[in-house]
Amino acid sequence: MSEETKDADGEPTRASDVPLEIVREREAFVRNVLKKGMEYTEELIHENRELRAELDAMQTQVAELRSQLASDDAIRDFVKTIEKLEAERRALVHRHTVLEETERAHANRQQEIEQEINDLANLYIANFQLHASFSLRRVVRHLCDMVGQLIGAEAFVIYLVQGNEVVPIASEHVPPESLSTFALGAGPVGEACLTGIRRVRETELSTERADDPVAVIPLMADGRPVGAAEIVRMLEQKQSWASVDHELFELLAAQAGTALIAAALYDPDLGPVASLAGLPARLERKN
Amino acid sequence: MSEMSCLVVEDSPMMRQLLVFALARIKKLKVTEAEDGVDGLRKLATGRFDLVITDINMPIMDGLKLVKRIRSDETHKDVPIIIITTEGSQEDRQRAMALGATAYITKPIQAPQVIARVKELLNLE
Repeated sequence: MSEETKDADGEPTRASDVPLEIVREREAFVRNVLKKGMEYTEELIHENRELRAELDAMQTQVAELRSQLASDDAIRDFVKTIEKLEAERRALVHRHTVLEETERAHANRQQEIEQEINDLANLYIANFQLHASFSLRRVVRHLCDMVGQLIGAEAFVIYLVQGNEVVPIASEHVPPESLSTFALGAGPVGEACLTGIRRVRETELSTERADDPVAVIPLMADGRPVGAAEIVRMLEQKQSWASVDHELFELLAAQAGTALIAAALYDPDLGPVASLAGLPARLERKN
Repeated sequence: MSEMSCLVVEDSPMMRQLLVFALARIKKLKVTEAEDGVDGLRKLATGRFDLVITDINMPIMDGLKLVKRIRSDETHKDVPIIIITTEGSQEDRQRAMALGATAYITKPIQAPQVIARVKELLNLE
């Protein structure tokens, strides 16, 4: 396309008619404009790249912030869970402590019950054996077993009241010369056979003292003393009384006399049925 | 676990009953009673026992003689033997152990002590 210009009169002129100098100036101007345009464009492209990079960085940052935020929420949840678990752990530890205390209490109680059962067994067996026979010898033997083996006496004497005297009928580890009959009321044994009052030493159980026996248990029947068990010394290994020993003293005091009387009244030649002969009539008379 | 058996040799009926009562608390333990050493040997001859508990002071044959006889018997020479007696001195204890007793319990006996010793010797829970 040919470049069209006009002259001073408005008539169209041809480019070839424009002076060369002006043409050059115009070309330089156009080139300059184009160059500047290119520069601006390049600047714009560069700026655009920078902005894109900045945008990318910001987007990355935003993503990071978002993920951090999510992570913070997770940590918050995690902390909450930890707190909840801690509370549960505390509750469990408390429950465990309570259970342990209960278990200890139960174990102690079980031990107490075991001890009570053993004590009751001792008492039951002692009583059962004491009344298991009508043989006077066996009753005396059971009496000795009770004092020696259940209570743990090493040296002891069993006495019976005979009128105004107290007579030894059985003994263990007491020299024969030390066994003697004495008057009712004389000495600790005579006194116990007179008053029915028991005496029990609480210390030095394996030490023998002439006028101070370890224990004197009056044997009672129908509210009256009929004899006594004198413990001279206890076995070396028996250093103190157990609670069951006092119960055995009670049993000895209450049952031994009765067992001795029953055995003494029984006639083995007649037998048990004959021993009860005439009993209904006697009951009738009482009524 | 199969049933185990124990022979109690004691001349005092009171002590025997007390021991039997204590041992009855051990599950699967059959208890046989004997009145003295000779009776004990007779009972031993009737079967196999896993444990023997014997008193020392007994008529006819005492506990120490019984221990000797058991140790010389092929069937029961390895059976554990518990001596129960009133003798508490170290000398008596050593004498019984030298003869072949496995354990020693002094009177007056405590049921838990007897139970614990028996369980230990029979490897029971």
